[in-house]
Amino acid sequence: MSVTLDLANADDATYALAASPDFARDGICFAACGSGLYRSRDGGESWRKLRTSSELVTTAVAVSPAFAQDRSVFAAVKGGILRSGDAGETWFTAAFPAPPPVFSSLLGSPDFERDGFLLAATIEDGVFSSTDRGARWQPWNFGLFDLNVLCIALSPAWIDNETVYAGTETGFYRSANGGRAWRHTGFPAECAPALCIACIKDGDSRATRLIVGTEQHGLLASCDNGETWERLATDSITGAVNQLHVSSRGDGSLTVFALVEEGILRSDDAGVTWTETLRVPGMPTAMLPLADRILLGVDGRGVALLPSR
Amino acid sequence: MSEEKPFPTQKTYQPGIVFQPEAHRHIGAGINKLVAAIRPTLGPTPRTVAMTRLDDVRKTPEVLDSGGIIARKVIEMGRRDEDMGAMLARALICAQHERMGDGSATAAVLLQAIYSGGVHYLASGGNAMRLRHYLERALVAALDGLDELTEPVAGKDELAKVAESICHDRPLSKLLGEIFDIIGAFGQLDVRKDHSRILRREYIEGMFWNSGLVSRDMITNQKELQTVYEEPAIVIADFQITDPRQIMPMLELAVDHKVEKLLLIAGELSGDAIAGLTMANGKLKNFEVMAVTGPGMNPDDRQDAIEDLAVVTGGLPLLKVTGQNLRDIRWENFGRARRAWASPHNFGIIGGKGDPRHLRRHVSNLQTQYERTDDAENRGRIRARIGKLMGGSATLWIGGLSESEIEARKELAEATADAMRAAVRDGVLPGGGMSYLNCRRRLRPHLNDAADPDERAAYRILYEALAEPARTIYENAGYEPGEVLGWIAQAGNRGGFDVIRENLAECGSLLDAAAVQKMALKNAVMTAGMALTIDVLVHHRTPEIARSPG
Repeated sequence: MSVTLDLANADDATYALAASPDFARDGICFAACGSGLYRSRDGGESWRKLRTSSELVTTAVAVSPAFAQDRSVFAAVKGGILRSGDAGETWFTAAFPAPPPVFSSLLGSPDFERDGFLLAATIEDGVFSSTDRGARWQPWNFGLFDLNVLCIALSPAWIDNETVYAGTETGFYRSANGGRAWRHTGFPAECAPALCIACIKDGDSRATRLIVGTEQHGLLASCDNGETWERLATDSITGAVNQLHVSSRGDGSLTVFALVEEGILRSDDAGVTWTETLRVPGMPTAMLPLADRILLGVDGRGVALLPSR
Repeated sequence: MSEEKPFPTQKTYQPGIVFQPEAHRHIGAGINKLVAAIRPTLGPTPRTVAMTRLDDVRKTPEVLDSGGIIARKVIEMGRRDEDMGAMLARALICAQHERMGDGSATAAVLLQAIYSGGVHYLASGGNAMRLRHYLERALVAALDGLDELTEPVAGKDELAKVAESICHDRPLSKLLGEIFDIIGAFGQLDVRKDHSRILRREYIEGMFWNSGLVSRDMITNQKELQTVYEEPAIVIADFQITDPRQIMPMLELAVDHKVEKLLLIAGELSGDAIAGLTMANGKLKNFEVMAVTGPGMNPDDRQDAIEDLAVVTGGLPLLKVTGQNLRDIRWENFGRARRAWASPHNFGIIGGKGDPRHLRRHVSNLQTQYERTDDAENRGRIRARIGKLMGGSATLWIGGLSESEIEARKELAEATADAMRAAVRDGVLPGGGMSYLNCRRRLRPHLNDAADPDERAAYRILYEALAEPARTIYENAGYEPGEVLGWIAQAGNRGGFDVIRENLAECGSLLDAAAVQKMALKNAVMTAGMALTIDVLVHHRTPEIARSPG
């Protein structure tokens, strides 16, 4: 395991990783760490710390789906969200009402070029949304009884149905109107918290298969928008599932990666069976599977670059 | 010049008993008279009804287009026998209007058609009790047919379409569609009069109550007349605090636990207690306290608000009934929130730190209570509580060119909002009378199979009555109903005729709240069935008459 971003401070951690949609060509990726935001222009081989407004703990990072055109990057720091229109060279801050929220997740609409829509999940203040490319943010928590939101994900059919999912400390919520109003799903209460979500388009049908990673109960899946759930892979996963990532293979089929305490698992059949891809010494905190490599954030060490197979 | 007659306040009747066939005929005449006054208001192209004002006959008449309001304002008919029939119809129409906010004219025409069909059958020797029994059985089949046609409604555009089919006011419908897409069936919506000429809406984060700061000295932002606390502790008590010494244990405990901001919600505070809190604000370093009086206009409301506040903030309330006072306060009594704000008239909480599981269960229990209660006032109160707990509210500001326009539009918005809640909760049906026309397919096999003459008559009466709302809508829009029904039959699909666009429409282009349509049908059948079994009318000498409308 070659560590390409070596974090000097042992207490530092990598919270999130994000790459340009055109990563194969431009090799641009970002790492949100306790010591700030880092950028690589060579596919994660070398990193440069970006000069954000200050060296704040950066807990989430998102790259615009239209990055090739707009060069927009968003980074969440305590109390605000930074946005850059030049791939991270200069930054603008959007402030939030006090007390300062701590962000757990940040994502943009697949149709960002047209709608400029962003969602940000926070640990104590629910979900915020922006419809003007991150300049202004509004809280959208109607029906969200639990404001400790740990993860959010957009439906693969977002453009048609505006459906968003949110995993919280005590349950799992769904919004059918872009996060404006939320409804609790049938997620089993004893399996909370929901730490991460993967949404997979179920074949040719319009249904979405949801896979949720939990702290102590492995993976759960739902094929009916969260109304009923079944447990997955109970043998191979014992501890917390910290992150899920869906990658498209060249032939259009999907691979799901799961970041667990011991390393990375992968599934080529929408989460039904899992195989161990990588065992990692230390505690992995974030992963970003890319075409030919995996970027992995390891607690206290930094970001490592690994071959994907 | 003729002399003006005084407004009649009480009338003396001769006592008497009326038997058949007069009883049925006169009840029918009363129903017909009232329904005739309401019939023009049905459909998307309603005509209006002018009505003498009850308080002063010399004033300009009221121009009304709501069946429910018209019925509410009819307090008696001229003839005593007809009056009985009219009042039966009035009770049905008013109940529909109060419970659902829509569908009162539909219920009225259905009642008239079923009753009239029933009377004709009984005149030929049918049995009233058996007819009523079979009508109720036919109702079940019709309701099953409506269930089959019911579709869930989602998205602001579809909701706006539902609103438009109820209120026929496009700008208002657009806003209501957006609002209900966000707040859902139980969300809190305040409809208020505005001084501007336009309609606008506002969303408020968190929950708020109509009760404010006990002292203006506690306002920290004088410009906005508001105090906002971040990460406050919250103490909830339902009793009066008279002695400033009572608050000392609370302040000591708060300071010991490093609380920097404290919101006290108490039943009442005396001047001395308020002075004690104000003094604490000046003397204690890194500590601020503000106090508001407990919300609610009556003990029930106050108790509900305290229960909700406790669930939201996670604090254990101090209650008078348990003999507690502020001297008994423990750390468990302190609730927490991300933010709390208070102004002289309101206070609110954002991000209460109570257990979300407990909050979800509490809301679910309230929803069950809501479904189980029939009392309109109780339902309104429970709905308001659920709305608050959902974590946000909407306000719809109604502007207009004149006070009367604003007032009428506000009333329309409120009635539409009631029907919208039902639509969001229970789904929608094809509008414009189409759902009743289409659900008749479920009656057809029963009609063909029925061997008993009373049973066959019941299915036939309901089958024909179900076409009456559509017929009335077409007639009100200036069409010949028989001709339009012919076009629909020729088209052979499950659609109907859209009188606005003047063409045969798909089911989806006109929408009505399913619960409204089902309740209108159910109440009409029940009332008609009951009226058909009335055999004798008995009149007292001086019947009680309503002193005021409603």
